[in-house]
Amino acid sequence: MNAIFTAVFIASAILLCFADPNAFLPALLDGAEQAATTFLTLFCIYTVWMGLSRVAADSGINGAIAKKMQPLCFKFFRTKSALGAQYAAMNITCNVLGLGGAATPFGIKAMKQFDGEGNLFGRNLLFILNATSVQIIPSTVIALRASFSSASPADVFAPALITTAICTGTAVALYFFTDKICRSLSRRSS
Amino acid sequence: MSLIIPSVFIIVITIAAARKVNVFSSFCAGAEEGLKFTLSLVPVLAAVFMMCKLFEISGIADALAAALSPAMRALGVPGELAKLALIKPFSGSGSLSLLTEVLEKYGADSYVSRCACTIYASSETVFYVFALYFAGTDKKGRALPLAVVLLSTILSTCLSCMLCRVL
Repeated sequence: MNAIFTAVFIASAILLCFADPNAFLPALLDGAEQAATTFLTLFCIYTVWMGLSRVAADSGINGAIAKKMQPLCFKFFRTKSALGAQYAAMNITCNVLGLGGAATPFGIKAMKQFDGEGNLFGRNLLFILNATSVQIIPSTVIALRASFSSASPADVFAPALITTAICTGTAVALYFFTDKICRSLSRRSS
Repeated sequence: MSLIIPSVFIIVITIAAARKVNVFSSFCAGAEEGLKFTLSLVPVLAAVFMMCKLFEISGIADALAAALSPAMRALGVPGELAKLALIKPFSGSGSLSLLTEVLEKYGADSYVSRCACTIYASSETVFYVFALYFAGTDKKGRALPLAVVLLSTILSTCLSCMLCRVL
């Protein structure tokens, strides 16, 4: 990320010096403003779901759900952290139910838990699951197509679902595979 | 489907009340946790968004799109969608406005538009998720999962267009 960030910053700054130097600072401020509005959106999502999640946790519901999902998560993410497995379980449950906004806070908490115990494998795997789009119903796109008077707005549902399924599967398999290679290489060199 | 969220709230709060949990103070404690969490994310988000804005307005995105469109055509992706495919991993709002442009220009039911919609629906804003999920974690070992996800994004772009042709 550091390399990409530095390269993009320097390259665009130089290009803008020639094209439109006055656009440079507004672009940065625009980005910051976008971060501020995103913060507000995220804060709203978080307060709702973290508030509810805390109520659920205090009444022992989270524990009960997670207990069912946990064995699977322990194995899948190779974690020993009960809390991490619980958050990951909630993240996946929310994603499958199509509650993308609710899934994010749990996902980030699980990432921190996995990272804290030095479990890079689980952390990376959870990121891959979330970054390859686990959304099941593309509601935004369907709404947009309807607004452009499409004959069948939900047409894209099947291809999008198939694509998502194949690509998420491929990414997970690829990660398992490359992780294994990296491990055996580092073992050989050490 | 729309009943899921309200029912979750009803179930959770009813069980909590039945178990004599102080629902109000628990909820507030959770909300406070949420606030602390989001605050810790803001600096990272600001930096990434600035980078994405620069990427777009400096013309790098356009130049890359122009350079990549022959390669994309070879992979079966319409050249008109090179820019959308390129912006999508960086910016959700940017790619949404591009998608709207495509729908307006080609009509909602054309092949190009259906491809665009499928590409948009079947991929994530990878760099945004990356910044959000990895904020505050160990820097080690981040490159491999990012590479894997980017590869799978390319695959999903090609597959989207292929499936749109068949289905």
